[in-house]
Amino acid sequence: MRRITTLLCFVCAALAAQAGDIAYPVSAIPATLLPNAHVVKRVDDTRFEIISPHETLMKIKTAYTILDEEGLRYAQLVVFYDKLRKVQDIDGALYDAAGRQLKTLRQKDIRDYSNVGDISLMDDNRVKVYDFHYKDFPFTVEFEYAMRSATTYSIPGWMPVSSEHLSVQSSTYTLVCPESYAVQFKAFKYPAPPATTTDKGKITRVWTATNLPTFTKPFASPNWTELTTSVHFAPSTFEMEGHTGSSSTWQDFGKFSRDLNRDRDKLPDNMVQKVRELTAGVTDNGEKVRRLYEFMQKNTRYISIQLGIGSLQPFEASDVAEKGYGDCKALSNYMHSLLKAAGIPSLLTLVNGGDGANDRYMIEDLPSHQFNHMILCVPMPKDSIWLECTSQTDPAGYMGSFTGNRKVLLITEEGGKLVSTPHYGLRENVTARIVRGKLDEDGNLIMAANTVYRAMEQDRIYYMINELSKDKLKEMLNEELGLSSYDVNDFTYTAHKGVIPEVEEKLNITVNNFATITGKRLFVQPNILSRGGLQLVDEERTVDIEFNNEYRSVDTVEITLLPGYEVESLPAPVVLKTPYGSYKSTVTMQNDKLVYIREREQYTGRFPASRYKDVVAYYNAIYKADRNRVVLVKK
Amino acid sequence: MRKLVAACLLVTLCSNADAQKKEVFKFEKITPEVLQRKIYPVDSNASAVVLGDVGSTEIIGNTKGWFSFTFRRHVRTHILKKAGYDEAQKAIMLYVTSGAQEKLEALKATTYNLENGQVVETKMDKDNVFTEKAAKYQFLKKFTLPNVKEGCIIDIEYRIVSDYLNTLQPWNFQGAAPRLWSEYTLSVPQFFEYSFISRGSIPFYISDRSNRMDQFNIVQTQGAEASDRVSFTANVTDYRWVAKDVPAFKPESYLSSSSNYSSHIEFQLAAQRDPLQYHNYIGSWPEMTQNLMNDEDFGKKLDKNNNWLSDVVKPLIASGTNQDKARRIYAYVRDNFTCTSPEGLYLSQPLRNILRTKAGSVSEINLLLASMLKYADIPAEPIMLSTRSNGFVYTLFPMLSRFNYIVTSATIDGQRYYLDASQPHMGFGHLPTECYNGMARVINETATPLNFTTDSLKERKMTSILLINDDKGSWVGTMQQVAGYYESEDIRATIKDKGKEQYFKDLKKGFGLDISMTNQRIDSLTQYDHPVAVYYDFKVEAPKEDIMYVSPLFGEATTENPFKSAERSYPVEMPYAIDESFNVTMYVPEGYVVDELPKSMRVKFNDAGEGMFEYMISQSNDVISLRTQVKFTRANFQPDEYEILREFFNMIVSKQKEQIVFKKKK
Repeated sequence: MRRITTLLCFVCAALAAQAGDIAYPVSAIPATLLPNAHVVKRVDDTRFEIISPHETLMKIKTAYTILDEEGLRYAQLVVFYDKLRKVQDIDGALYDAAGRQLKTLRQKDIRDYSNVGDISLMDDNRVKVYDFHYKDFPFTVEFEYAMRSATTYSIPGWMPVSSEHLSVQSSTYTLVCPESYAVQFKAFKYPAPPATTTDKGKITRVWTATNLPTFTKPFASPNWTELTTSVHFAPSTFEMEGHTGSSSTWQDFGKFSRDLNRDRDKLPDNMVQKVRELTAGVTDNGEKVRRLYEFMQKNTRYISIQLGIGSLQPFEASDVAEKGYGDCKALSNYMHSLLKAAGIPSLLTLVNGGDGANDRYMIEDLPSHQFNHMILCVPMPKDSIWLECTSQTDPAGYMGSFTGNRKVLLITEEGGKLVSTPHYGLRENVTARIVRGKLDEDGNLIMAANTVYRAMEQDRIYYMINELSKDKLKEMLNEELGLSSYDVNDFTYTAHKGVIPEVEEKLNITVNNFATITGKRLFVQPNILSRGGLQLVDEERTVDIEFNNEYRSVDTVEITLLPGYEVESLPAPVVLKTPYGSYKSTVTMQNDKLVYIREREQYTGRFPASRYKDVVAYYNAIYKADRNRVVLVKK
Repeated sequence: MRKLVAACLLVTLCSNADAQKKEVFKFEKITPEVLQRKIYPVDSNASAVVLGDVGSTEIIGNTKGWFSFTFRRHVRTHILKKAGYDEAQKAIMLYVTSGAQEKLEALKATTYNLENGQVVETKMDKDNVFTEKAAKYQFLKKFTLPNVKEGCIIDIEYRIVSDYLNTLQPWNFQGAAPRLWSEYTLSVPQFFEYSFISRGSIPFYISDRSNRMDQFNIVQTQGAEASDRVSFTANVTDYRWVAKDVPAFKPESYLSSSSNYSSHIEFQLAAQRDPLQYHNYIGSWPEMTQNLMNDEDFGKKLDKNNNWLSDVVKPLIASGTNQDKARRIYAYVRDNFTCTSPEGLYLSQPLRNILRTKAGSVSEINLLLASMLKYADIPAEPIMLSTRSNGFVYTLFPMLSRFNYIVTSATIDGQRYYLDASQPHMGFGHLPTECYNGMARVINETATPLNFTTDSLKERKMTSILLINDDKGSWVGTMQQVAGYYESEDIRATIKDKGKEQYFKDLKKGFGLDISMTNQRIDSLTQYDHPVAVYYDFKVEAPKEDIMYVSPLFGEATTENPFKSAERSYPVEMPYAIDESFNVTMYVPEGYVVDELPKSMRVKFNDAGEGMFEYMISQSNDVISLRTQVKFTRANFQPDEYEILREFFNMIVSKQKEQIVFKKKK
């Protein structure tokens, strides 16, 4: 009997320990973390240990409370890995709102997928995914895993509030490294130094954050990195597949690239011969660059194959010469080799490519891997010539919205050197449009619209006329002019290549029911193709206002009206002059023609949040003015 | 009966043929003249043209004691512009399961360029073929050709040896690039019978068949050394199909699935016979559904006495009528289970597992629903169908592989309700529009056919607006709107995604400027059986001027014609039949008189009255009443109706833009 009792007690105790533990009850979330949140990071701990320059171990533990359906994507564990990074020790558990444990992770339900990028033919990216598939909100998922990496090339950063609609109850980042190992870091919205301890030859730094509410990125916002708490790291010495480097300075960081690229620029003899032929009799180096660049464009295309160190080291130039393809590094290196054969020095250049303002953002005082792309810079006595080697169509010397207006790292023989790519502003980014149309009896408008797009304003169209078939272009034109019903009767595009490129567009369009006819009246909206689409709502604003792109657009519209009508209502001219931009539109009757003229300039700059009311008023005034209409009445 | 049907189909395929045409295609020698061609008459805008695409499939004896097939393909493409470079990047999917596999063999890829008047040939290296494990049983062989430039010709040859005899390699006669010659030969020995299904509108230039005798050798390995060898001869039929000068397939908007219209042929094993043991793979519809009902991975689990369901189902059926019970079970499954995969007919895990993990594919969730309903003594039957994006099923032809989706029906008081618990916001008795794709089959003894057509879905939307002008000249309105059922689904999803506040913000933007909105409310947001109703008051700021113009529908007018393109090659397949009506009651502003009212009109879409638009406006003292309605009785339109349809919408857009003009009293 006695024995039985003990046994029973033992069983009870075991059950209690398993099922009775309460963890992450939703009631323990401070009220300030709930507004706007779909998910709360209850625990978000990262421990990153640099064991040696070629070995790191990262341990992550997270517990996220999912508040509603929109937070569901955070309920999944998603771990990316590749040839140099191995995932291990995945574990997890599911808790209900009260904090009772409902389930634990089943190893055999972890899914594993190939994650070859859209732009790649082949790489070694893979991903592991786990999901409890639970939907009784709110609930909490807890995950742990470790990742062992064979390189210190980049150290993951810390950004507790990593996106909108997410709040943080507790987040910690612990960096452990040998005492002798120097680590650079840069913190935003974290004024204090990390808590630092030293023990047994290891130095441990800890950053913590608690109770950070959600943050919403408003219109025209500065970069997210500056707006929330974050810390970014750079290794001192690092290794990758036997190659060593240092990112103590930009110069050092560039040396690593320089060494990876070294001796990969040998061309086969027939190519050297080809270079000679192409440049024979040309004395101007600029002209030589253009000829060789065009040769490269005609004979190669972009194909990305990145395996292991191949994500940083280019194919050999001879490989590209033979196969006619490569990724950004391989093609830049190939172009560099062609120029070298012509006796023209050039520099491989690391850049963070992308069209958005955030892609242009760089932490300049933290030399580290902040790049995703490579271009080529050809230094010239006056201005350098910049070459985008993955494009078969870009003009030599033009960078555009993907690589222009930003800091890049030149890889020189002495190491890295931070410089700026060309800037395109108000004078370059111009759209100039002239529309001439005639109204028919049924209110349809037959018009010719001729538009010249320059610099960044032509990027999208230039890309499309080169990449799309004529049928696809027509399909696109049929979709996107923002008119209620129309037919594109004819269209042509002419590209004028140059350091500041231009595209000339000629459209012949019938706009069906352009004018609204109600009895004796005719309603006409003279702004046909250049209506500003942005409406803003005046809201409380706490962060600065930042405009990153400058452009200018000029429109002239002439509409020949039907005889027998006179003006009943003509919109008054609208003139707006602000620090953010300027706008002017006027409409007049000249004999039987309605003449509409519009000019708009957008400026760049950073303004205090208190000016937001003005910004809203400015945008909304444009929105309204662009939709002004003329009312005509039968005489 | 089954054989008759198959025979009919064969006859149809052959009837287009001119049996005299024995024309043989030869890949011509690639000369400088060939490489210099810039334009092909088949399509003068083409970025790439397939000069020849020739494939064949032959069934052979293997060394595993059975048969395999060998698929051979030789495709040559002239790349004319950069936009055609995609043709040079290829991925071939191979399946490998335990005991059966597909292998890619003898892959050769060569690029031909014209350099200094000479044809220069570059062969692809073998080590440039990459293998990606795409899924558990799927491997992708990926490669790209070297030296691809504008004007080059690429030539690819390969063979696939496969153990998967059930579905042979299909053949696409049409694709993104036009084809000058597309040819497929299928050799079928007498002991296998395949069903052929072809679709698309491209006529065959040649469709031919001929017979010959061939020898088959099968080796069965017995242990380490011994092996059995069987050889026999059998009659073989060679089928040959050729399409010539095939234009590129161009997808259009409002097409449920472009695969319905792109020319294609596929094959399904129907039976095996002498000298093999007779086995029927495709039976009648009832045979097919009965097989499913008895399948361990499908229906068999449904009829067992599933006592493990009791903990979950008992509380749901504790009270009420069968109708109440069914609704509770349905809501429980819909609200607590996550759909992890939209496709797959069979169970990949036991039903019990699905109940435990609360996750499964569409068919797993709906089969679990059926088993729960049955457990509650409510007659329930699974239904199989093909979704709109998966393409039509062949009504004459019981072919399981065409189906990709399972829903469940519950019969309560003699009425059948169709249920899909895999969709998070679907009401009881509603199916997603994706399910409305023609024929579906109930999985029961008789394989009851059902017809789910989008023409039967009426999307009714009703809006009323009451408008007065305040003393400052601003328009003050009250809006009430009952959305259509499927629009309600969208609204629910939007609100789930962005929140109510953002939904109303977007609505406000739809008006244009100077609007304030108050008393916003949405009814039935979580009552998924009903459409949602949206209410709000609004105020449009407008200065008091001598003449006031007002567009009475404000943000609710149809402002864009949904049919953008002037031409149409394929039918218009809308997800439902539209029925939208607006009632506007408006008070003439004080101190003003009506100067001009739009004219009333009523227009029929066609003589049969399958669509109509009306705009009826009248004034009585100081009240203006406007009623406008767009209504169609069907959702599908033939290409020859397209122009009228487009014009019809042009007229609606133009009429709904019209303005009412008020003038100040003198």
